[in-house]
Amino acid sequence: MHTKKIMTILFMFVWVSMGLVPDAGAGALLDDLENQLMCKCDDKCGKVLINCTCSTSDKTRAKFSKMLESGITVEQIVKMQVDKYGETVLSAPTKFGFNLTAWMTPFLALVAGGFGVRKVLLAWVGKKGNIDSIEAPVAESKISEKYSKRLKDELDGIEL
Amino acid sequence: MNDIGEFTLLLALATALYGCIAYVMSARGNRIDLYLSADKTPFIVWVCVTISSICLWKAFLTDDFSLQYVWAYSNRELDTFYKVSSFWGGQKGSLLFWTLLLSTYMLVVYFQNRNKNLRVVPYAMAVMLIIVVFFLFLINFSTNPFERIPLPPEDGRGLNPLLQNYWMVIHPPTLYLGYVGFTVPFAFAVAALISKDLDDGWIRMTRKWTLISWFFLCMGNLFGASWAYVELGWGGYWAWDPVENAAFMPLLIATAFLHSVMIQEKKDMMKVWNMSLILLTFAMTIFGTFITRSGLIQSVHTFDEATLGYYFLAFLFVIITACTTLIIARLPLLKSTNELDSFFSRESSFLFNNLLLLGIAFATFWGTIFPIISEAVRDVKITVGPPFYNQVNVPIGLALLALIGIGPVIAWRRATLSNLKKNFFKPILASLIVAIVLFPFIPLGNRAEIYTYVTFVLCAFVVTSIFTEFYKGTVSRMGLHEESVAGALTAMTWRNKRRYGGYIVHIGVVLIFAGIAGSQAYGTHTEKHLQLGESFEIRGYTIKYEKLVAIEATNIKTRIIAQLAVERDGNRYWTGHPEKEFYKGQNQPVSEVDVLSTWKEDLYMILADFQEDESATIKVYVNPMVSWMWTGGWIIAFGTMISMWPDRLEQRRRLDRIRKQEQLFPSPAQE
Repeated sequence: MHTKKIMTILFMFVWVSMGLVPDAGAGALLDDLENQLMCKCDDKCGKVLINCTCSTSDKTRAKFSKMLESGITVEQIVKMQVDKYGETVLSAPTKFGFNLTAWMTPFLALVAGGFGVRKVLLAWVGKKGNIDSIEAPVAESKISEKYSKRLKDELDGIEL
Repeated sequence: MNDIGEFTLLLALATALYGCIAYVMSARGNRIDLYLSADKTPFIVWVCVTISSICLWKAFLTDDFSLQYVWAYSNRELDTFYKVSSFWGGQKGSLLFWTLLLSTYMLVVYFQNRNKNLRVVPYAMAVMLIIVVFFLFLINFSTNPFERIPLPPEDGRGLNPLLQNYWMVIHPPTLYLGYVGFTVPFAFAVAALISKDLDDGWIRMTRKWTLISWFFLCMGNLFGASWAYVELGWGGYWAWDPVENAAFMPLLIATAFLHSVMIQEKKDMMKVWNMSLILLTFAMTIFGTFITRSGLIQSVHTFDEATLGYYFLAFLFVIITACTTLIIARLPLLKSTNELDSFFSRESSFLFNNLLLLGIAFATFWGTIFPIISEAVRDVKITVGPPFYNQVNVPIGLALLALIGIGPVIAWRRATLSNLKKNFFKPILASLIVAIVLFPFIPLGNRAEIYTYVTFVLCAFVVTSIFTEFYKGTVSRMGLHEESVAGALTAMTWRNKRRYGGYIVHIGVVLIFAGIAGSQAYGTHTEKHLQLGESFEIRGYTIKYEKLVAIEATNIKTRIIAQLAVERDGNRYWTGHPEKEFYKGQNQPVSEVDVLSTWKEDLYMILADFQEDESATIKVYVNPMVSWMWTGGWIIAFGTMISMWPDRLEQRRRLDRIRKQEQLFPSPAQE
């Protein structure tokens, strides 16, 4: 039951991160488009269009602005660019096919790591618990409940 | 002079090679004569590399274009300031600069540890010398900065205009100080593995080195962001470029190491993990140089003549293989008790903090190399840019931010329910108040805005948890010692420098998180083509285009400056002067932005274009909370300084340890 809860939380975490929440509003269409595409200047500057300041990016921006005004959608422009330059024009991998591994692997690694840490912690706590359980009856027989409670309260307040 | 520079490089290589062999043989064969001989090599190597560097600097300052490197990165018109920094402007010089820093660090380590722990130090020196040998080999035989041009030209090609910025003098050396610094803890870790001296001695010997390197790497990243912000003219500071990632990854892993190492020091646990982390940190610094110098991954930061990829790849392979083999061979000795009192303890929170830091490092690494994987698997070139990193790393980063708040208030060993209730009440209350207060004012229309809202709430949680710690400590000290608030706070911090210095660093990190969140979600920008005298409005500012001036700054540089009046509520508030600089022989002009920076927001102006009729295209960004990030950086610097400050108590303990050690292992002189 406990594992199921953790799984559900992790799944929701990944789901939200992968983009179920809606992205930028209609007012930021050009920004959205510029964020999705790389600059394709002759210098191969390797920058996302929105970050690029070269003369080619200025021309591209102006062209895209006109295209958006004429009613062509962001998705259509992106598709046109991919047809022209290939997938390399996209600023991030697509979320299907082999490219999905790019998106999923970090989260899968994190989830696997999380389970690993949990297992290690439980093992370490278990080891200590076993030792304590062997030693506990002897200790408890010597210390009265009153002092034990007082010690516990004081330990709670102490920063070691 | 150039001959001297070239010769000293060869001499340094031969000496370093002899040094590492002699150190290893002296340690293995218990040969005091060899040890004493090897012990002179760090100093000789440093002298040789320093002389060689001085020769190269002299060539830059005297415009000696007979050197290909000086011709490629300087010219007669270049400011002296930039002639000095041109030294590390290209691949050849940057490698020499790296070697200079490494040999300097090695010399300091040598003076620090002479006649100390003779089981570990000789191996540590040998490891550092091996790394020096690798760099000197490259400099001597593959990318020599003293390569000549048979017929020296009259003038040089000049330094890339983007590099002609004061940050060029600050950012690369800071970053290199961080990168190179991790060689020291790495060398001591490997030495501990070889010598089987696997207690926490190597950690104690290199704790300050790790902190210093972490500090420089952190500052190097922030300075780089600052440079990009003022020089590249796109209104941002971080573009998730592969080379930026390369500097970010070792920082994350080193941060994980700095935290987990505390568990080893306190509880003698996690020896294998800590060993692996420091080795991975060093491997990542070499991976960073591989990316910059291989040309394999497209980046704006890659050196022009990036041809050394295979050397670095081979070196990386050797390091990883050797270190993995060593760790596996020493596994029985690295076994620790590994017991925890409770799942809910600060130790556990540190483990999760490690997981998240490594998670971000892995996601960044994965994104950086994925284009190569895609090309290998599908034969399709793809790009992995900011949208990927933002979507993957931001949620992990937020979880990490939450842990920064949980860490200080959760008890070591075992957190009981009453302890948790007591310690978490105030931070949770504060975050709830911030969540309720901000809710009506903050738009939550898209993912960036939702993340930002969550970030602010978490920042409140973290800051409250840290201040509660300061408050509790101060109040208890005031009661015990009858001190004033300031006196108690100072004395408490001073007596626990590491702990409270760390908390101050965390406050700096919170400010960086807040700054990134605010600037990413609530920024706005506009671009206008204006005639003289025209104006436009952006977020309450009225920007009026007043003047366009052309100045012939030097024989090779022309500055075109726009004057923009900024008005608020009808009053002149500020005058901005964004400009474009044109360099002779360069295709693209360089934008010099002008920024009005306040605690609330930055007004960031760019002269995007201009026409002969003096009309101009002006781009203006309003970036909220950017200055919070730079302030966060200074707070991190302050906190790190407190943490690193020499501790008299710790020094006394160290001297006791050395005394005991010397009784067990007498130094060669005593023998």
